[in-house]
Amino acid sequence: MNQDEKLSILKDILLTDEREYAKKVEEKLKVVEDIVNKQKQLSERVDPIIDQKLDDFVSQIPKTLGPVITEALKTEIKNSQDAVVEALFPIIGKMIKKYVQQEMQILSEQINAKMNSAFSFEGLKRKFKSKRTGVSETDLMLQELAQPVIEQIMVIEKGSGIIISEYSKTQAIDEDMVSGMLTAIKSFAEDAFEKENQELNYIEYDSFHIHLQNFSEYYIAVIIAGPYNIVFKSKLEDKLLDFAQNYINKEDIKDSDLFSKKLKSFFE
Amino acid sequence: MKISKKIVLLGHFGVGKSSLIRRFVENTFSEDYKVTIGVHIFKKNVTIPEKGTDVSLVIWDLEGNDDISNTRLSYLLGTHAFIYVYDVTRPATYEKLESELNFLKEKQKNTPITVVGNKEDLVTKAYIKQNSDNFGRLTDFYVSAKTGGKVDFLFSNLAESLIK
Repeated sequence: MNQDEKLSILKDILLTDEREYAKKVEEKLKVVEDIVNKQKQLSERVDPIIDQKLDDFVSQIPKTLGPVITEALKTEIKNSQDAVVEALFPIIGKMIKKYVQQEMQILSEQINAKMNSAFSFEGLKRKFKSKRTGVSETDLMLQELAQPVIEQIMVIEKGSGIIISEYSKTQAIDEDMVSGMLTAIKSFAEDAFEKENQELNYIEYDSFHIHLQNFSEYYIAVIIAGPYNIVFKSKLEDKLLDFAQNYINKEDIKDSDLFSKKLKSFFE
Repeated sequence: MKISKKIVLLGHFGVGKSSLIRRFVENTFSEDYKVTIGVHIFKKNVTIPEKGTDVSLVIWDLEGNDDISNTRLSYLLGTHAFIYVYDVTRPATYEKLESELNFLKEKQKNTPITVVGNKEDLVTKAYIKQNSDNFGRLTDFYVSAKTGGKVDFLFSNLAESLIK
């Protein structure tokens, strides 16, 4: 037995346990390495699919979950109305308070401006009117501040409800639909009362007043925001009659462009 | 110049007047039956390529009436065209077709009437052929609000005829 063989036998005797341990460690390391590599490979393939699915899910939320959430909210609100009122009351209360404060401030500033002009011609006129009519100066002042505003004027063919002409500063509603609906309401009311030569003259809708001025072939609907009183009504009627008698002839009714031009120039 | 025309749809209860209009205006259909009370008004602009113009159709959907003489006559005033709708599957809706059309002609003399048989999807072509002497001789179009069959054609054809 030479020197090397002796050394090998000695190594076997001394290092057998360590070698087995090292082998086990190596095997475990390999397993861990495999797992890491596999996960990496898997992740590369699966991640885009998950991302896509997530994107789809997010985009589908309004469609799939929207109605469910809305329904759940509705039920929840219905079942716990007191709690909802309790939660909303302070917020809405604050909003209303703020709005009223702001409006009162504007009103107060406007009244101050009017008071400052108490000795102007307008002021003296108001004083005289107050003495003559018995209405207090304050009331007259408030009346001056709260003026009705004409939002829209529609000239509508009787019967068909087709719009002949329309004028408004801000186009907000579909005039064809509104003119049709007004005509249907008018027809219904006039039919229901079954009295000849009686026509619907006025409709109130939320904060708007709709004045209806009837003529033989058409009627004019004037949508007014703000206070609608007898004085304003009378003035408006005079103006509409003046327009119909002095500015419009039969040919204009057939030419909506010409009618619209005349309507605009008269009321602007 | 803007052209607007008033179209009025008439017929018995449940023949599908509102469904036809909804199919034409909104391209929707629902199996749920909601009865029309009074009148509903719809609007749709139709382009007539040959004339290079747009026509605004203001469509009045009247409540159904089993007897046309009960229709509120003031709703018919100033109508440019009537569409009389019946249900091809319910004889009660077309049995008095001729007299109902005569009533309309008498009340609005010069207004054209288009007669439409709705729910065509529920019957066969053979059934329609069998009834050619019945409702067939008075009908202009067979349509289906459910499938949308010929609904667009009905209204665009009407719009075109009104501006000739």
